[in-house]
Amino acid sequence: MRLLWLSALACNGNAHALLNYPHFEEWQEDFEWLYHPLLPSTHAFVEVEEGIEGVEILIVDGTLEEGLVKNRLVYNELLARYAAEAKCIVTVGTCATFGGIFAQGGEGRSGLHFSKERRHGRFDDFWEKTVSLPGCPVQPEVLAGTLSMLRLGEPLPLDALHRPKYFYAYTVHDGCTRNEYFEYKIDEHRFGALEGCMFYEHGCQGTFTHGSCNKILWNGVHSKTRAGTPCMGCTEPDFPRETLWRTSKHMGIPARMPLGVPRRAYLSLAGIAKAFRIERFERPMMEDERG
Amino acid sequence: MIKEQHRAEKKAKRRGEIVRTALKLFAEKGFYATTIPEMARDLKMSVGNLYNYFSSKEILAQEIIREISAYLGARIREVNEAELSVREKIRRIVTIYFETARDEPEMIDFFLRVYLSNREVFHEGCEGMICVNEFVTEIMIFFDDGVASGALKNQDFFSAFGLFMGYLGGMVFLNGENILPRALEEYVDDISENIYNALKVS
Amino acid sequence: MAEVRLELIEKIEGEAQVRYFYEEERVDFAEILFVTGRGIEKILEGRDPWDALTINPRVCGICGHAHLIATVRALEDCYTDLKLSPKARKVRELTLAFELLQNHFKWFYLTILPLLDLEAPRRSVLEPSRILGEMIALLAGQYPHNSYAIPGGITCEITPVDLHGVRQRHRHLQKLFRRGVIDVDLEAFVRCDRIEAMLKREGDLPRAMQRILDRGWERLGRSCDRFIVFGHNDLFVAGKSIGTRLQKHLDLRYLRESSIEGSRARRVLYREKSYETGPLARAMLLKTPLTKEAHRRYGDSLFSRILARVCEIPRLLRYTEALIASIDLSESAWIDPGPLPEEAEGTGIVEAARGSLIHRLQIKEGKIARYRIVTPTQWNLGNGSREEPGVAQSALIGLHREDPAELVFKAFDVCSVCTTK
Ligand code: SF4
Ligand code: SF4
Repeated sequence: MRLLWLSALACNGNAHALLNYPHFEEWQEDFEWLYHPLLPSTHAFVEVEEGIEGVEILIVDGTLEEGLVKNRLVYNELLARYAAEAKCIVTVGTCATFGGIFAQGGEGRSGLHFSKERRHGRFDDFWEKTVSLPGCPVQPEVLAGTLSMLRLGEPLPLDALHRPKYFYAYTVHDGCTRNEYFEYKIDEHRFGALEGCMFYEHGCQGTFTHGSCNKILWNGVHSKTRAGTPCMGCTEPDFPRETLWRTSKHMGIPARMPLGVPRRAYLSLAGIAKAFRIERFERPMMEDERG
Repeated sequence: MIKEQHRAEKKAKRRGEIVRTALKLFAEKGFYATTIPEMARDLKMSVGNLYNYFSSKEILAQEIIREISAYLGARIREVNEAELSVREKIRRIVTIYFETARDEPEMIDFFLRVYLSNREVFHEGCEGMICVNEFVTEIMIFFDDGVASGALKNQDFFSAFGLFMGYLGGMVFLNGENILPRALEEYVDDISENIYNALKVS
Repeated sequence: MAEVRLELIEKIEGEAQVRYFYEEERVDFAEILFVTGRGIEKILEGRDPWDALTINPRVCGICGHAHLIATVRALEDCYTDLKLSPKARKVRELTLAFELLQNHFKWFYLTILPLLDLEAPRRSVLEPSRILGEMIALLAGQYPHNSYAIPGGITCEITPVDLHGVRQRHRHLQKLFRRGVIDVDLEAFVRCDRIEAMLKREGDLPRAMQRILDRGWERLGRSCDRFIVFGHNDLFVAGKSIGTRLQKHLDLRYLRESSIEGSRARRVLYREKSYETGPLARAMLLKTPLTKEAHRRYGDSLFSRILARVCEIPRLLRYTEALIASIDLSESAWIDPGPLPEEAEGTGIVEAARGSLIHRLQIKEGKIARYRIVTPTQWNLGNGSREEPGVAQSALIGLHREDPAELVFKAFDVCSVCTTK
């Protein structure tokens, strides 16, 4: 299957992350890079500008900017040309999907279809054939897996923002090793510790962020939240929010609730959970259970 | 079928009567001075039968506080769900509290004289705020909405909670001691205004 | 008759344009232009200072970790009495060094070898890159784009199990280096000072260097012969060197940034002069034997530049091995430094893969009032005038039409996204 990877305003993190895909070499045998920002490709960028044939999947990376010129041509026009031809379009990363960080750095910047959660409509003709893979960067397993499924024509159920459910129906909270501290509402958390949950004080967005970070695991071994770093919500339309390392609260009550959980239900459960002092959660994990 | 339903209904009714009688006695005489035989006498039932409903005085007291919390919680929830300004919501909550003190004085008495004074009774089974969860949850939601809408100052929950509830409890206490020159309802406007001023964004 | 040609240079973490001015058959002048920019510094203004820990790694997909470490150092510099445990300091050094290693492998295999018409199996780059990513992730949560370094230490507790995973991969990596890059004993290689001895070994490095010699390119790409290194640790020393004349003292007040017409990059000068930064500069300051010898023979040419960079790999491998062995896990991972001051200024300096990276910030009323980043590529690729050309510019000027201009250019390892931020 022939892939054309075009980057607008990007950091190249999605491309580099993909190289870490454990089976990259074998996986790549099924694909041909018509153009890729790092890897050897069939065409040079200048040729892409002149016009190339046979694009099957268009991969859009980076924040779009009105009037942006990478070399000779207006980038958005280049994009529209290949988007019309491609069977399918995949927006990789939060920048290409929702605008992301760089959308905040200048005028006229957005994702392919979205400005944050709002559909801006400029590329509406291509909406039906677009798959959204947000993430900053997108996990390599998500990108490689999606492309393979598209190639094989396997069903790929999408949610309302066109994210494949297989990867984005989970929250980052699913599978975090700090879950028990969340369940029992232990709100103390200190950095540099194995214990504690970062929902209450340190801005963890895991419970309302769509993604497989704690299911697939990053680099196959770990994740931010497991490593004591709060989830910054990098797959979400409003990434990056302000004051990322502190939980915003109203009179001590977290301003954002876990995905789909009514506040009343959350607060009732929290009240009950908080009533109990559970000894195990008050001592270091590595200490003996008794004595 | 119908018979069974009938029996369950009857049982629930009886249960309600027990709670009401116990509430009255507890509120009047305090937790320790009230005895199960005394309750049974008032209810015209045997002590043994009463124990079929509640296996101890503590459990009965816990049931009572849960019901009071549910009662107040449900009424405050109506306020929370109404389209009202924060100021107006405060007025409604104060009104609810004072109305309850007037119409169901035992509830507030029980809350102040038993629940808050005999904490040992509630240690097992009513840890933390479990038994008043519904009430506290609604107060939390009220605060949360207030801060989110920009009307209330973002501060520590307990500072705000103490200010609000302590004030109302104090007024009911003064009223109960017949110290207040005017009827409790007549204080609603002033008190609501004071609470609002103390909690609003400066 | 003068002729002007505009060329697009791609696959450099973005693109750049070079406008060559030919006089006869030679490059008479060249301008390096970066046409897109993202405005990271502006995005940071007005934000909570800690947000920089999240935003800044996203400056760059290949050296983002260096940006994180520079950020945390700049934030820590805002405190007057911040404590950092040796463990936290060492773990940070480790993850940073792992990124350097990964970048070196990627650059050598993905950028340099193809320009020398040499092929190597794809896994020569994929395997070390992936393993190094895992090593960083084991300590920092993920790679790329983690934010595990925070004022006072690191966010995570490291267990012996994590460290064990790092150690095993380190052994694997050493094996890959010897199997692919050059088959030598690391210890001995670091002390080796004979180019011929290196060329005789098996591996992609000797193949590449031999190819450069065979094509007679070893003296191409010579530039200003001035080197600068701002970061220092147990591996690198700071200072500047003009040719081989060394001066250890540097003062950031002499650093000057200026904008370049037609380009989104800003140029940086030290005492009004351009300096080369990066592995060659680091090697020149350390006087590492093999690079010193290359420089003696061929000057600051692409030969020396490429060799210096690849030769940093074994040094980094030994450095990280010693670091791992010296970590005392019983120390705290994080020591609470208290809140950041409401008004402060801080500077964070890091030796990144491509050279010195400097972050400077100013906090006012608890928010970021100003944030400035000076990247290595700005030193090396910044445009100058005909009188005072930039480093890469000088290297391009004088090249013959037939010379490998792209190789000369890419030997600096251009990172377009970092240059314009
Ligand atoms: S740290 Fe975040 S992801 Fe982990 S349990 Fe807490 S809320 Fe969930
Ligand atoms: S844990 Fe959160 S911030 Fe980190 S990569 Fe996953 S979604 Fe993004």
